[in-house]
Amino acid sequence: MATALVSTPLKSHHGIFSTRTAGGRIPLTPSPRTRTTSLATNVSNTSSPFTPPRQTTESTRIVSQSAYGNVTSYLSRSTSRTAYRDSPKSNIAKAKKSPKHLELGVSDWTLTGTETTASQTPSKSASRRKGPLRTRSGKTTIRLEAGDRFIPNRNASEGIVTAGSGKLDESQRPKTSNGEGSTVLANAVSAFDLGGLAAEDDATAALEGLNLEDSDDTSSYTKPAPDTLAYESSLATACGVSLNTRILSFKPAPPESSKPIDLRSQYNRPLKPANVASAQFRRRVLTAPERVLDAPGLVDDYYLNLLDWSSGNQVAIGLERNVYVWSAESGTVSCLLETAADTYVSSIKWSGDGAYVGVGLGSGEVQIWDVEEGTKLRSMHGHDTRVGVMGWNKHILSTGARSGLVYNHDVRVAQHKVAELVSHTSEVCGLEWRADGAQLATGGNDNLVSIWDARSLGAPKFQKTNHRAAVKALSWCPWQPNLLATGGGSYDRHIHFWNTTTGARTNSIDTGSQVTSLRWSNHYKEIVSSSGFPDNSLSIWSYPTLVRNVEIPAHETRVLHSCLSPDGQMLATAAADESLKFWKIFEKKPGSASAMSREGAVTGKGGDMVKQMTIR
Amino acid sequence: MSAEKDRSKVHKLSLKGSSKLIAEFFEYSINTILFQRGVYPAEDFTAVKKYGLNMLVTSDDQVKAYIKKIMSQLNKWMTGGKISKLVVVITSKETGEHVERWQFDVQIFNRPSKKAASKDIDTPEPPPEKTEKEIQLEIQSIFRQITASVTFLPQLDAGNCTFNVLVYADADSDVPMEWGDSDAKEIENGEKVQLRSFSTSNHRVDTLVSYRLAD
Repeated sequence: MATALVSTPLKSHHGIFSTRTAGGRIPLTPSPRTRTTSLATNVSNTSSPFTPPRQTTESTRIVSQSAYGNVTSYLSRSTSRTAYRDSPKSNIAKAKKSPKHLELGVSDWTLTGTETTASQTPSKSASRRKGPLRTRSGKTTIRLEAGDRFIPNRNASEGIVTAGSGKLDESQRPKTSNGEGSTVLANAVSAFDLGGLAAEDDATAALEGLNLEDSDDTSSYTKPAPDTLAYESSLATACGVSLNTRILSFKPAPPESSKPIDLRSQYNRPLKPANVASAQFRRRVLTAPERVLDAPGLVDDYYLNLLDWSSGNQVAIGLERNVYVWSAESGTVSCLLETAADTYVSSIKWSGDGAYVGVGLGSGEVQIWDVEEGTKLRSMHGHDTRVGVMGWNKHILSTGARSGLVYNHDVRVAQHKVAELVSHTSEVCGLEWRADGAQLATGGNDNLVSIWDARSLGAPKFQKTNHRAAVKALSWCPWQPNLLATGGGSYDRHIHFWNTTTGARTNSIDTGSQVTSLRWSNHYKEIVSSSGFPDNSLSIWSYPTLVRNVEIPAHETRVLHSCLSPDGQMLATAAADESLKFWKIFEKKPGSASAMSREGAVTGKGGDMVKQMTIR
Repeated sequence: MSAEKDRSKVHKLSLKGSSKLIAEFFEYSINTILFQRGVYPAEDFTAVKKYGLNMLVTSDDQVKAYIKKIMSQLNKWMTGGKISKLVVVITSKETGEHVERWQFDVQIFNRPSKKAASKDIDTPEPPPEKTEKEIQLEIQSIFRQITASVTFLPQLDAGNCTFNVLVYADADSDVPMEWGDSDAKEIENGEKVQLRSFSTSNHRVDTLVSYRLAD
């Protein structure tokens, strides 16, 4: 009940305001009195909808003609309007209340009104839901009526008029409301706000006054149009809220972004990045092995080099005391040799032409085998510790031993040992000639990388101590001769890139796991690393961006050895899980390569090999 | 001959077709904004040829599904002529502040007369007939502008923002469960920049971006 009470006065107040805003409504002040009385006595009466007085155009005209009213109204309006403008920012929720208020207001007027047209009130209430246009027109009508009705009053009592204008000021309100009490006042004030919001749904209220002023002599029904115009435009600019639209939001929360974003790189991003790790442009890499072979008895020793692929497309692997040769072309396997019982195979290397294979033994002996014939050509002694790594440079075979010594053997002459390379103090496990034979890189268990100039082997050209673990992985870049990549062991986990002309380190990657081998791609600007603990994976890195393009979980245990096929497309890996796997990671036709096209366009040896393998 | 063909096409571009075109425009707009403003990482987007441009569209399944849900409802509303605005609001995840607001105002021409004279007086005359190519060029220039706007928009706290889609719909629209009333999510004291517009024979779309001024 109390609320009803409040709202009723509000309504009437609101009505007052609107009249105030609309020029010359000041006369309405009388009505508040009547209202207040009614309020005090019986609220229900007030709220009961009586037929509001209907105004004719004639009366409107009269209103406009009354000079006094207009002047005062102007004054009051100007102030009141600004006040209203602020309030309109209301949101929809408030606006929703408007219908009720409006109705009440109407009824109030009915009470005060002298003339009554029975039909009006119902129609208004009915039209409540039909949007702003209707309600607005209704109000207008009321206002006009009131003005008309009260013109005489206004003229007569100036005091009332001032009181009416004073209503804007909250403190002055009490006077007008006949001292109903502070609560009433408060109600009234709040009512004003509500009324302002509700009645016109925001900005309209203020605008109304203006429009009415200008077009006072026109009938109330024609007014709506300009009203609406102003209404809409003001809404569009100011609040963006209107009665007949709702703001709807799609409620489900949008998905989280998958990772932090650096906008700067985005703004700089070229449309088609070459090697950036964006999913769409990234080279598709086959992550399943092409073929898996058993490698029983493979010695799980990081310091050995037991796998090599010849230019003649044969894969040699050392399994304990035996060396097996698997022909990628025919798929046949043959056992090339078996060592004496007291030793084992510690390293294998094909000669450049693929005709011979060098075999290093645990005893320090180095043997040269003719694979075609299956016969041993010669044995070369010199090392007294196991030969863990070897490398061919034409007729020179370099061998690195556990002692830390590296010998160069000229395999054509009887006095085969032509150079002794002293730099490592611990087992040599990495050794790689540059393709042109001008430089040799060696890595050892002393964490040292030595780079040698083939013309002066007395001392290494550079010695690099950056690695913090044994360096087994060494690879020369095929397209940039002075670029060397080296990878460190489990305590180091880094790949370093060296300029072997200046000795400068040009780049580094922390791979997160032991680097057991490194191979540059011949076709892509990429390098593949195999890793041991903890990932046991293959990673393909773009160079020089050093973005990891793909990581393939390759083996169950650490990958010990790797080698590239002669056509550079396929990588063979051998792991301590005693398996030998073949990966087509550098496939020549990126993207479009389906199995069909791959097999159809067999040109190189690799293609042949694939064919063989798939056929078998 | 082709010109004639075009013209005949233009005449046939019905309200329905036009609504579809607008809805499609919204879809690409949302995607473009998400990409340009770094709401999602760039790698999640793929380039698609559209409007004679390389448009970037999300390829993240979740985001795709999210936008698809929005679009399916939007399509219905557009066809029914219920929408007067579409708004993409970018909000800071940390503070919940609205930092950027992209607003697309839709005007419908030749709307079957609604309530009284309210709209019609205000509604501008439909522009002269355009070929589809002209419309596409207009759209193209909007997207160019959106793309270019990153030069003046303040840098967002990238990766730390989320977005919402608002729609200003008629009160009598059917509202599915997933949509609910909302405030306008206006940006307080925001700077506003009006971008280009485009129009078809039935619709006109104005673009406005408002953003928070740098402190």
